[in-house]
Order: sequence, then structure tokens, then C-alpha cells
Amino acid sequence: MPLPDTMFCAQQIHIPPELPDILKQFTKAAIRTQPADVLQWSAGYFSALSRGDPLPVKDRIEMPVATQKTDTGLTQGLLKVLHKQQCSHKQYVELADLEQKWKNLCLPIEKFRALLQLDSCEKRIEWIKFLALGCSMLGGSLTTAMKHLCEILTADPEGGPARIPFETFAYVYHYLASLDPDFSPSEVDTYLSTLKGSTDARKSGMIGLSDFFFGKRSLENLEESEDVGH
Amino acid sequence: RTRTCRTRADWPGQEPEVPCASVPSGKPADRNCVEVPPPNGTVGCWATAARAADGSRVPWSKPSVAPAACPGDLPSRPPPSLPPLRAWRNRCPWHYLHLSDSYDTLVPTCFKAKLHRRRGSPTPDMASALTDGTSRAMNSYTYTSRPRALPCQRRRYRDSLTQSDDEPVRYGNIMYDRRVIRGNTYALQTGQLLGQPDPLELQRLQQAKRRALARKRAQEQLRPRTPEPVEGRKHVDVQTELYLEEIADRIIEVDMECQTDAFLDRPPTPLFIPAKTGKDVATQILEGELFDFDLEVKPMLEVLVGKTIEQALLEVMEEEELANLQTLQHEYEEIRNVELAEVQRLEEQERRHREEKERRKQQQWEIVHKHQETSQKIAARAFAQRYLADLLPSVFSSLRDSGYFYDPIERDIEVGFLPWLMNEVEKSMEYSMVGRTVVDMLIREVVERRLSMYDVKENGLQNLRP
Repeated sequence: MPLPDTMFCAQQIHIPPELPDILKQFTKAAIRTQPADVLQWSAGYFSALSRGDPLPVKDRIEMPVATQKTDTGLTQGLLKVLHKQQCSHKQYVELADLEQKWKNLCLPIEKFRALLQLDSCEKRIEWIKFLALGCSMLGGSLTTAMKHLCEILTADPEGGPARIPFETFAYVYHYLASLDPDFSPSEVDTYLSTLKGSTDARKSGMIGLSDFFFGKRSLENLEESEDVGH
Repeated sequence: RTRTCRTRADWPGQEPEVPCASVPSGKPADRNCVEVPPPNGTVGCWATAARAADGSRVPWSKPSVAPAACPGDLPSRPPPSLPPLRAWRNRCPWHYLHLSDSYDTLVPTCFKAKLHRRRGSPTPDMASALTDGTSRAMNSYTYTSRPRALPCQRRRYRDSLTQSDDEPVRYGNIMYDRRVIRGNTYALQTGQLLGQPDPLELQRLQQAKRRALARKRAQEQLRPRTPEPVEGRKHVDVQTELYLEEIADRIIEVDMECQTDAFLDRPPTPLFIPAKTGKDVATQILEGELFDFDLEVKPMLEVLVGKTIEQALLEVMEEEELANLQTLQHEYEEIRNVELAEVQRLEEQERRHREEKERRKQQQWEIVHKHQETSQKIAARAFAQRYLADLLPSVFSSLRDSGYFYDPIERDIEVGFLPWLMNEVEKSMEYSMVGRTVVDMLIREVVERRLSMYDVKENGLQNLRP
């Protein structure tokens, strides 16, 4: 006997077996990411889920300290999400695509434009440069920006030495320093050569946080004299 | 009751009939009657007997009459033989006083009365009969009682419903019983007693009693029993018929036996289904009246969403905690690595310092050693020089004395030339000695030959001369 179309009791309501799991994952992601606009973020989440892309989900809950201070709405976690979402193997990303993802993370589009004004480009931008700009936007000095960058780019586990290849580091450092008129290229070169000497002595071309971030104390005089910003 | 009467009538004939065994079990009243012990109230007995004399107490004084009347008028015996029994059982207030304690005593007394009558003294007066009996007790009265067990103080069985338990079981002192024979036994009459009834009469008596018993039983079975009296009341039997008549249509009973099967397996207990309560009512329900999806889905959704959020929160918290731990661990590890490197560096430095120190110490030690050695050598040399200063001349002198210092040429002549010379001299002397010896021998031989030749010549001469 076929089941009647009409429902008589609540037991007849059928819940798809995948629904609770999807719902749970979604809820967890939402709790973790804490988007400002849940609807916008959900659209991005589910479109990424349906396409099989990396999800716009933070790995860790972030206490929104940086956002309040600098009022950019951008955090290291969000940048990391973006980095994860931007196919990191691609060197260049489309600006439209990037803008969509930016919006999906409920970040203000004005910031995006302001960010892009720093480095004029059309249609596409080198991802590592955008990332560097974002890191510099997180606030603090150039060293802090480099620290953020290291933490985003590194393959080491969180809390680890956060090592990245020295070439990347040097490239980004050069790029950021070139944006800042206060940096003279000779200073940058000497700094980088010092770092390179120390990294070459110990590791195989990898530079970690401890190499330059704690070494900041020795370079304090240099850093203080500079007006590092964005 | 009739049974009692008969038993009492039987005992002189020494027939060991046991009343308890013969009485049907369905009649506890009878048994009670039998077992009522002879009370000490013989006064009651007399009173009963006295009352029986005037005939107004026919129902309960029947036993006194029965033995006398039975042989003759059994069919015409009036049914009132039953009422007294019930009266006894129910303790009719009128008869209670007399019946309660005098009944059992009454029976033998009555028997005596009958005996007395049979012997030809036609006085129906019970009192006189009794006195007569007692006066004759010395020579003709006998009393034998069936042996029986004393009743327990505590009853073993429940009393029958009809028997009152306020009636005490009383015993009299047997020594004051008038029926107990005292004195010696020689004078006792042995053999058949005079007062024995003849067997024929006895048989008839028994038959009659049996019949009466059967009748009573039939009647009891036929008749529906009155329900139990309400509290505070008692049943009293009252004769309601106008005329008393015997009920003869008793039901014939046949005993049948039947053997049941061995125990069969008990069938399984059927499942208990409680009876349905309430009423079945029907009503018409149109489609969609009962079920509102939005309404019905709400609790489910609440559960789903609530549970999901709760679970998700929990999991996020757990994972965050784990990740925090992991981060801390990595940080700690990083710090530890750095510190380890620092420690290693420091250790290396320390080791180098130590080695340097050791080396310098060693060097210093060596220098000191050499200094010491040199000074010792110098001292020893000075000492030796001073010590050997006067030793040298004495040694030379003693050596010179013992000939260690000599002239080599002289010594060569002494050692090499002189022995050779001596040897050569000795050799030449030996040669000369040998020559002389040889000469001596030659001379000697020549001499000896000449001597022998001389001898031969001498001999020849002699021979010749002989």
C-alpha cells in the first residue's frame, strides 16, 4: 500500500540524513568565523561548499582585538582564510574574484579599494603582494607585518617557529620597503644580508619568526627611527 | 445423638465400638456430644431427670426414653428426635442449663433407669431409678469407660462453626464419681451381667438408630441451610409444621470411586490482556484537519537546531581547547628549542673555557716540575761533587795497590814472552833428553847383544869342554 500523501503525524516528517551533519558543520563554521553578516557569509560558505573549494572558515576563533584597534575589519585569521581560498599555487589572482571573496567574508569593500590603491594594478594582482599589503594593513611596524605574513604562509603548526623560505621573505620585505619612502634600499639590503647570514648559518634557506622578530631588539634603534606604516 | 445413645447402650455388651470412628465426619455435633466428658454436675443430671419425669422435657430427655422406646415403636417414633439435637447445638436458652453439663451423665443414668424398669420395678421416676441404681451399685452396678486420651489444653483443630468455644471442658474427680467402683474386686460379679440386653433387642436398637441416622443425614442434605446469623443473633430451630411427620424420601447414596490421571502438564498461562476500558467513539475528520506541518515540524526543528547549535558549540569549544593546547605546546617547544640551543652554546663555551683552563694548568704544572727537577739536579751534583772530592785519591791508591795500574810492555813480556820462552827451552831440553835416551837404549842393546854373544861362546866352550 503506498503511503498516503497527506501527513497525519509528526513521525511522518522525514529529515534527510545528511542535513544534521551539514547543519552542524555550518553552525560550527559560523561560530568559529563570527561573520558580521551571516547571510552574506553563508552564501559564500555554501557556494564554496557546493563547488568543493576551500571553505571561508577560520581555523581558530579570533578575539577581534585587531579589528577594534585599527578598524579595518581585517584580521590575520581572515587573511589566512583568504590565502587558503585563493589557490595558493596560482601566482596571480583576478581582482573580481578576490573582491567577491572579500565580500563573502563580510569585509568592507572600501578597505579593499584602499588596499588596492597602495599598489596600482588592473584586473589581476600578484597574490603574495596582496597578502603583504593585507599584512601591513593589520597594523604595526614592518616587522609585525612580516611576522603576520610568516604566520600565514608557514607550513609549520600553529605556535611553531613559523618558517618560510628566505626568498619569499626577502621579496616581500623588498616590496613593502619599496612602498615606504622612509626605507632606503641600502638599509634594507644590509638588514636582509644580516638575516641571510644568520639563516644560512643554521637552516636550509628557511627563516623563522625567532630569526627576525626577537632579533628586533638588536635592531631597535633602526626600527624606531623609521616610521613604518601603511 | 442417636449414635451417642447407642454407644452408651452398647458398652455393657463390651462391644469395642469407637464412637469417633463410627460417627460420620460431617457431623461434628455428634462427636462433640460424645466427647463431652461426664461433668461433675450430677445435680444437673438429677434436675434433668426430675424434669424428665413430668414429661414436659420430651425433646432433650429423649435419651432417657429412647432405649426404652426404641425396641417397640421405632416407626412411630416422633421426629422430635432431631430438634433436641439442634437445640443442644444451638444452646436453646431454655434447655441450656440442663443440656450443657448433664447430657452425657444422663445417658448411663437413663440406661440404669431402663434396666431398673426391666427388672420389674415399673416406677418411671428417674430420681428413684437413680437412687435405686446407686443403692444397688455395690453389687450390680458396673461402669466401664472406654479409654481415651485427655484433650489437649490447646485445641489442635479449629472448632466447628456451630460449636461454641465458651463452653469449658470440665472434668470431675473420678474418686467422687458414684459410678466408680471402690473396694475389693473379689466380691465383684463376673461373667454376664444381669442388666445386659439380649442381642436381638440390641440389634433392633442398632438398626433403628442406623435408620434414624440415615434419615437425618438425608434430611440434612436435602435441606438448604440457613445463612449464617447476623452478628448478635443466633439461630433457633423452630418447628413450623403443623404436624410432625417423618421424611422418608431420602436420597439413596452410592459410593463411587474414580482415579484421576497422573498430573498433566500445566498448560501455559494465556497472555493477560486487560479488559478494555472506556468507550469507543467515532468521529469524522476531514483531510488536513489534524496535521499542520508548520506546527508539527516546530518541535522537531527546535530540537534539530537546538541540538545542532549545542553540539556545535561544544565541539567548537573542544576543538578550540585542543588547538590552544597544541599551540601552547608548539610555542613551548619552540621556546624550548631556542633555550636548548642557548644551553648548548653555553655548554660549549663552558667546555672550551674549561679546556683552556686545564691546558694552562697543565702548562704551569710542567713548568713547576721542570724547575723542581733542575734544582734537584743541581743540588745532587753539588753534593756528589763534594762527596766524591776525597774519594778519588783513595780509590786510585787502593787500585794502584791492588795492581790495576800496570806497564803494558812489562805485562806483555810477562804474560806472552816468558811462557813462550820457557816452553821453547823445555822443548829443546826434551829433545836432548830423547836423544840421550835413544843413545842409552842403543848402547844398552849393543851391550846386551855382546853380552849374549859372550854367553853363547862361553856355553859352547863349556859344552865342548864338558
